[in-house]
Order: sequence, then C-alpha cells, then structure tokens
Amino acid sequence: MKYTTFNHNTTNPLSEPMFFGNPVNVARYDQQKHPIFEKLIEKQISFFWRPEEVDVSKDRIDFQGLSTSEKHIFVSNLKYQTLLDSVQGRSPNIAFLPIVSLPELETWVETWSFYETIHSRSYTHILRNLFSDPSEVFEDIVVNEEIKRRATDISKYYDDLIFVTQLWQTQGEGTHVVNGTKYQVSMRELKKKLYLCMNSVNALEAIRFYVSFACTFAFAERELMEGNSKIIRLIARDENLHLTSTQHILNLWARGKDDPEMAEIAEECKDQAEAIFLKAVEQEKQWAEYLFQNGSMIGLNKEILCQYVEFIANHRMAAIGLGQPFDVQSNPLPWMNNYLNSDNVQVAPQEAEISSYLVGQIDSEVNADDFGDFDL
Amino acid sequence: MKPSDTLRITLETGEIVEQQADKTLLESLEAAGQEVHFHCREGFCGACRTKLLCGTVKYLTDPLAFIDDDEILPCCCVAEQDIKIKLL
Repeated sequence: MKYTTFNHNTTNPLSEPMFFGNPVNVARYDQQKHPIFEKLIEKQISFFWRPEEVDVSKDRIDFQGLSTSEKHIFVSNLKYQTLLDSVQGRSPNIAFLPIVSLPELETWVETWSFYETIHSRSYTHILRNLFSDPSEVFEDIVVNEEIKRRATDISKYYDDLIFVTQLWQTQGEGTHVVNGTKYQVSMRELKKKLYLCMNSVNALEAIRFYVSFACTFAFAERELMEGNSKIIRLIARDENLHLTSTQHILNLWARGKDDPEMAEIAEECKDQAEAIFLKAVEQEKQWAEYLFQNGSMIGLNKEILCQYVEFIANHRMAAIGLGQPFDVQSNPLPWMNNYLNSDNVQVAPQEAEISSYLVGQIDSEVNADDFGDFDL
Repeated sequence: MKPSDTLRITLETGEIVEQQADKTLLESLEAAGQEVHFHCREGFCGACRTKLLCGTVKYLTDPLAFIDDDEILPCCCVAEQDIKIKLL
C-alpha cells in the first residue's frame, strides 16, 4: 500500500491497529485507541532539558587525573552511547512512521526520536569539553571493531523492516527481484519483521545502555566526572520512559489488545525474541570485558558489571513475558538506583547549573592563590 | 490513627509490614527493611512491579509503566485495605 502524507479516506482511528492499518490522516488526540501513548508524550515533554544547561567544565580537570585504563573506560562508553543514540535518533522515525496507524502513537514516535537527538547533542557537549578536537573520538565509532559488532546487531532489525516496508509500499505483496535477489513480501512477513524489530529496540533501551550507565555512575560515586553524570541521569530518565513505551507495544500485541495477528506472531516468534535479548546480554558482557581490558576502576569490575547486566535482563525480560533466565536474585549494584531515581534529577534552574546562572563558568572555582601575582 | 486501623501488608514469605501514613507502599516496605527494586519512583519505569495477591491499592499518581492486571507499582500507590503481595 502506497504511503500518503494525508490519507483522504475517512478512517476510524479507534478501530485501527497500531501498525499496518490505514496511514494516519488527522493528527487528533481528542479520542484515543491507546491513551497510554498520549500520557507518555506529556510525561516526555515535561522532561525537556538542554545539554548546555549542565556545566561540564569541572569534568575536564577530573578527566586529566584519570588513569589510562579509566580514560579508556570513559571514552569507550561515550563512543558506544553515541552510536546507540545515532541509531535511535533516526530509526524509529524511518522504520515506524511509514507504517503507523494511530495519531497518538505517531506523535509518540516523533517525540521519542526527538529526545534521542538531544542525547546525541549532549555527547558532543561532553566531548567538546574534554578534548580540544573531539574528531578522533567520533571518527573511531565507525571503525572500532568492538563498536561495529554491536552496531550490526542493533541496526539490522530496523534495516530489514525498512527495506521490506519500502518494497511493500512501492510494489505490494508478492515476489520481487531487486538487484538479482528475490524477496517474498507478505503482510505476515512484514509483521514478523516489525515484531522482531520492536523486541530489538526494547532490548536496546532495556539492557544495552546499562553497562555505560553503571560506569558513569561509578565515577560519580567517587565524585568524578559529575557534570557528565548529571547529563547521563537525564538520559537514563528519558530511556526509562522509552523502554516503557516499547513494553506497552509488545504487551498490547501479546495480549491480543491490538492486532489479533500480532498476538499469533508474538507466540510464534517468542524464541526469536528471547534470543535477541540473550544476544544483547552476551554482547554487553563482552563489552564489559573490552572496557576493563587495561584494568578496572574503583568500585566496579567485570564480574559485578556482568551480574548487573543479568539482573537487569531478568527484570526487563519478565516485564514482557519472557521469564527470568538468569540466576541473580539481588541487585549487585544497589547504588545505581539512586542515580536512576527521577526525584534526584535536579530541575530547578538555580540547581541545574543553567549557563546563564553561572558567571565566568570556566573559572567555576577560584582560589586565593589565583591573586598571588596581583600588585596594587 | 489507632493501631487497630493500621493496614497490614503481608508478603508471600509471611513477613508483615505496616502501611505507614504519608508514605507510599514502596517507602513503607523500605522502612521495614525490605529490598524492592526501583528506578524512577514516579510510576513510569516499572522497575518496582509487584504482584498483588489479595486486597486493593489506591494510586497517588497514574501509573504509566506497563503492569499486568494482577500487578501494582508500589512507588506510586498505598494499600487501601490489608493486602498480600509477592515481590518480583
């Protein structure tokens, strides 16, 4: 079915499925099939923040005092997060908007993606402060083998869905040959790709971010890189909300509260969904190993970090009916919760270090010695 | 509030915790030394998801996280009567 930016047919959004129904025409929110997405939009908008509001100037001094292995941990995590948000800043829009059928869900996807672009801009804010020229860091993201391996798994489900959607929207269902390769396009196949893609996105926001979050907050526990930690807290709060949205989508499908065919697919593809999560867990553990290859950091080592990944995975998988495959009962990093608690995210301007509240923010600390060579 | 009016939260393990006035269910559990997983404490992340085995709760803020029909979010609710729960 050809995509149209304004569908002239009269549709009833209350009886449309979330995806693969009619394209949305009027952006109306007076009636909603799934009101949760409108609530998530409101919540997300209330979280608005700008990276420039957070003063990261002290981090530069902290960074210079870090050991080589700690610098590796810090910069590698920023590279990985930059990759994750580069993908997330564009992919939900490109993959989901052409096939979405509910106005409230369409707007949620746009709101969600917009926040990912704030995250991307914040990494530049952090890196510009640490390096006079951050190019080297950014350029390494597309050539670093460890990051590339993860990038492949993150983007392939999106790419698959986007490509088959393009075939379907231009040529319809059937067998199509593109550059000598045959593709079977059917609605069932499209919906399966959508289901797997949604699971992959859920795993991304549920598990993939948490190894780097743990490292960031472990630095903050030592009162190091606190500007960075403030930014990552804001990011973590947003990611929690995004995670909630994909959990809702997956659960609405699985419980037959949306498209009945998606309920069948959820049952049929359960093993594949589980495999996506288990692979993400495995890759995060390998990432922890890469981070700590030159030595660990105070308060955190590979073993604890791997246990934390398993602990988080248990919770996230249980939330979408995939059970608890790992044998970790209690939280190995209980202090993490203090950083993920939204009450602790400061929002008042005078507390949040909005740059206009700071005078001469480069010299946010002035000692008596600074006046040593003054003669009157 | 007279002691007899205090609402009781029974855990699946048999332990009994009191619902404290001016505290959420999560805070009451924490005050009694129970380890409950949490992140946002505002009802949008779902980390504190708990099974409600019997009784009812009242929400102080509308929960945004996905919860099943037999589940509650202790971070944004209080017991409305004596309840029995299972920590996940």
